[in-house]
Amino acid sequence: MTKEMLLTNGRVYDPMNRVDGEQKDIAISDGKIVERVSGKAKTIDLKGRMVMAGGIDMHSHIVGSKLGFGRAMCPEDHRKDPVPKTKVTRGGVGYTMPNSYVIGYRYSAMGYTTVIEPALPALKALGSWEELEDVPCLDNGLLPLFCNSMITFNYVKEKDISGLAGYIAWILRKVGGLGVKVVCPGGTYAWAHGRNVRELDSEVPDWGITPREIIRGLTEATEALGLPHTMHLHPLNLGRVGNIKTTIEHLEAIKDIKGHKGRKQICHLTHMSFESLAMHEDEKAKPEWKWVSSGGLELAEYANKNKHFTVDLGQITFGPATTMTGDGPFQFTLYQMTKNKWANICVDVEMPGGAGVVPYFFDPKSPANAVQWAIPLEFALSVNDVWRVIMTTDHPNAGPFTKYPLVLSWLMSKKQREIWLEKVHKFATERSTLADIEREWSLYEIAITTRAAPAKILGMHDVKGHLGIGADADVTVYDLDPTKTNLADDPEKIIKTFGESYLTIKGGEEIAKKGKIGRTPVGKVWTIHPEVSDELWERANKELEKMINRWYAHSFDNYPVPERYREHLEQKVVIDSTSVSA
Amino acid sequence: MTESEKVFQNVVCPFCGCLCDDLRIEVKDGKIVKNDEGCAISKAKFLSHDEDRLSTPTIKRNGEHVEVSFDEAMKRAVEILTAARRPLVYGLSSTENDAHREAYKIAETLGGVVDNTSSVCHGPTVLGVQESGEAAGSLAEVKNRADLVIYWGSNPQFAHPRHLSRYVRAEGEYIGDPKTGRKIWVFDIRKTISAGVADEFIRIEPGTDLEILGAMRAILRGHVLDIEEIGGISVKSLTEMVEKMKEVKYGILFFGLGLTQSKGRHRNIDAAVRLVQDLNTFAKWNMMPMRGHFNVAGANKTSTWQTGYPFAVDYARGYPRYQPGEYTAVDMLARGEADALLNIAADPAAHFPRRALRHMAAIPIINLDPKRNMTSLMAEVNLPAAMAGIECDGAAQRMDGLPMYLKKLIDPPEGVLPDRDILKTLHEKIAKEVG
Amino acid sequence: MQLENANGLGEVLKMSAVGVDVLLTSGRTLKQGRGMEIGKLSSDYFDAVSICEMDESTLKVLGIEDGDPVRVETDIGSVVVFGKHDRRAEPGVVFIPCGPYANAVTGSDTLESGMPGYKSIPARVFPAKGETVPTVEEILAEMVGVG
Repeated sequence: MTKEMLLTNGRVYDPMNRVDGEQKDIAISDGKIVERVSGKAKTIDLKGRMVMAGGIDMHSHIVGSKLGFGRAMCPEDHRKDPVPKTKVTRGGVGYTMPNSYVIGYRYSAMGYTTVIEPALPALKALGSWEELEDVPCLDNGLLPLFCNSMITFNYVKEKDISGLAGYIAWILRKVGGLGVKVVCPGGTYAWAHGRNVRELDSEVPDWGITPREIIRGLTEATEALGLPHTMHLHPLNLGRVGNIKTTIEHLEAIKDIKGHKGRKQICHLTHMSFESLAMHEDEKAKPEWKWVSSGGLELAEYANKNKHFTVDLGQITFGPATTMTGDGPFQFTLYQMTKNKWANICVDVEMPGGAGVVPYFFDPKSPANAVQWAIPLEFALSVNDVWRVIMTTDHPNAGPFTKYPLVLSWLMSKKQREIWLEKVHKFATERSTLADIEREWSLYEIAITTRAAPAKILGMHDVKGHLGIGADADVTVYDLDPTKTNLADDPEKIIKTFGESYLTIKGGEEIAKKGKIGRTPVGKVWTIHPEVSDELWERANKELEKMINRWYAHSFDNYPVPERYREHLEQKVVIDSTSVSA
Repeated sequence: MTESEKVFQNVVCPFCGCLCDDLRIEVKDGKIVKNDEGCAISKAKFLSHDEDRLSTPTIKRNGEHVEVSFDEAMKRAVEILTAARRPLVYGLSSTENDAHREAYKIAETLGGVVDNTSSVCHGPTVLGVQESGEAAGSLAEVKNRADLVIYWGSNPQFAHPRHLSRYVRAEGEYIGDPKTGRKIWVFDIRKTISAGVADEFIRIEPGTDLEILGAMRAILRGHVLDIEEIGGISVKSLTEMVEKMKEVKYGILFFGLGLTQSKGRHRNIDAAVRLVQDLNTFAKWNMMPMRGHFNVAGANKTSTWQTGYPFAVDYARGYPRYQPGEYTAVDMLARGEADALLNIAADPAAHFPRRALRHMAAIPIINLDPKRNMTSLMAEVNLPAAMAGIECDGAAQRMDGLPMYLKKLIDPPEGVLPDRDILKTLHEKIAKEVG
Repeated sequence: MQLENANGLGEVLKMSAVGVDVLLTSGRTLKQGRGMEIGKLSSDYFDAVSICEMDESTLKVLGIEDGDPVRVETDIGSVVVFGKHDRRAEPGVVFIPCGPYANAVTGSDTLESGMPGYKSIPARVFPAKGETVPTVEEILAEMVGVG
């Protein structure tokens, strides 16, 4: 039976189709947006409420071993935020690391329908697939890490881009991944020696290669395969004052690499807040926290001149956060600085040295934290092209995703920024240009940064991130008549509006209404299947069997995630990569 | 080879937390006839898997175990659990992850408590980690890099028989000859068989782990200790050891129940965590709990993603609450609080102390296990289950957190279902009753 | 707690004074692991867990041969097991593989950790010539009062 629905009288913001607040009806049939529906369709009169496509978060840690370790290590994080079961939903806990069910419910209640886990140790993928089954109400995707793997290094050392592409294709297919993630390339590996690598041309121990060669190799392989999502980069030297220089060096290092079929972007720079730390202009200044200043404007100016990358913010929000990254040496530094508890999680040969977890509290009275807060805002409000800027908090690193409404209020309201500049340490004003920025993002821009742009950057824009005919019927209705309110003057209204959707529809099903979850379907897990030539596939299998059996502590045969954990969840996107030579 | 003969390669062994995945298992006429590569315990598990089984569901009538149909046993189980005011769901470490999922659902629907066997093995490890964190190692990294391997309060030759040969006395990429390329130290109160194969055996006085670890940390931080010896070790030799630990390329501290169960319990772990954290200022160091049951690490993991907490979870208020010492199984029983026990893939009657056992005898027990065991002797309801990793597939987690897929090699005995299917049915029936 | 102590004390008072003070510890053995996997009610398991390992001097003081029954007593209770010689053992520490026999003399107090005290329990070992080592079923019945 066809399931039909008609949403009438909505104020639609659909940037991919250049719809900017027009009154429109949305017709839904069998989980898709359609031209028209029959008279039998369930009709909901939205009475002028604002409508956007379902929200897409392209960088949020919602499953996997780091998160699990963090959750288990920090019961104090969840205790104050109990979530009782209902007739429809499971019981659970919040706060920065909610249990899997509550992650699904809370995202859905805010109007999100797709969330991507951006750091998958590929050999632990089975665990993430199991977990995704318990993250309801959302479509998902996983980005495997390739940046510190001995197998990657082996191909980079041989300057064998085809071999590297074969490895990437094999991993994406065998464990179900969406793209290529790079974290602290070579630096995390060096952490297995108790060291870090901070600069692009420093040598990676044991291998005699450099991070520059690693990111170039991985970018070239990604473009050769034509993966829909570009190389997703967390650069070296994270969290170090003055690292904006290193970050721009990374971007410069890959600038000349040709995009697949002439596409402009070849890199996504993630959580820029952590890697855009500038040094205050003072003759005494050293790379120490007391000399930190915002590099947000510098990165924005660079971005306005150079079009080869996109960015997400990793907006610092004040209060508790849990830092968790594949950047083991950074986490150790943070532990030494804070003396908070510290977990290190090394991952065989794919991330020797390991990921880390350290709880953190972003304090508005801390000079450094105040500057960190200003950085992404200064950046976002200084970039010309919002299509290249995604709002995230790198959940739960810079704060939980439930703080998104607050982040939107900073982006949309100068009044709100002034209120907060009063509250936070004066360095936010003195060491950034934030106080002088007049710009306020419009609802259209919000629809870009939370919907259309992430869909495009992930390469899911055929069916996600918009409300055109043929799109997945992922729709969010907000309880706001945009013609009647000037949101910039009313930041509390922004927070309220985006904190709880009036209606969240996913795949044509009503999931949440006014913050209450009514249905908890399990979403799809999006994966990319690069079809490579038979020769390359054969070569990849042969070489990987040898390397895995030699280096790992389990067998090649037991590496892939079995179909039985995938087939009912997987949304396979097959791409033609047969042009990659063997 | 005839059709009735089958050979399975790279089979994962569902015995201990090593989850060795290189077994070669031969099946002939529906029977496992050979286990190549497995340790003595693995061989016993595979070759004797069909011995001493719970063959049919039973319930107790007038003190006797009476064979009944699956439906009848299930009906009794539902009666017991829905009548209970403080049910305890326990076990889980010897079954696969999907069964865990159903167990948490049952606990939630009943408003009961769910705990796994880690509370009597590495529960204190979890508590120590919650205090201070953990620089957690991985087995492949140990194999490739570790030049100093410490076993503390752990006897791998007995409890994890291939741990040494697969990961430690094995060739590694950056180690070369494992006999000369790395040293093994064993800290224990007894000269165990593992101590016998180590390069150094350090005998410590029982119950002094915490002091020794604290002293090592003090020495590491440059404090001068004005004592001659501690825990039976001279401060001089302890200082020499610490110096060596600072100079290694990659050190790993494997620790067992000798640390978690001894005086100090989680404080011992906290001290070990802190020592390893401090060592990272000088050299690369990690640590790893020697997890016993093949999927006890998995039980912590599934509990954590589904409830937020790794064990000792109470659903009485409709949301998960966590408190070891309160919602841990031994405490729930010894205090006389639990009034029914749903036991899944564990044998508390063989592993709990006297007082907890005495209360078990006073409450109805529903027991799911492939084999007859001590808990089955006491149980009001016994439900035979398929053996995970032999008769049904599933996922489990190795001691270093690596998820592994367990294969199904042969069919379970007729009418016998996997834990996950039994528990799913049980939950559906309970949900119907509870509404 | 009261109950456990009272029981144990009663047992001690009944016994003669020729015992050896030791620390009792429990843990895994290869045989115990094998026995467990063959079946908890198998003779393999019984043979593996119904023993107490000790050094030669302790055997001598007790005046028993390798394999003779001994009674192990703690504050919690007492249990009869086979005394076994362990050539690596030192005086002062005896070992019972984890299982029902060790549990029979182990306390349930977890000190708010969830973990009972399975290791280093102050105990006294007595020769128990003529006494029978209970079967797994019998020890269970003795501990809980059911069969």
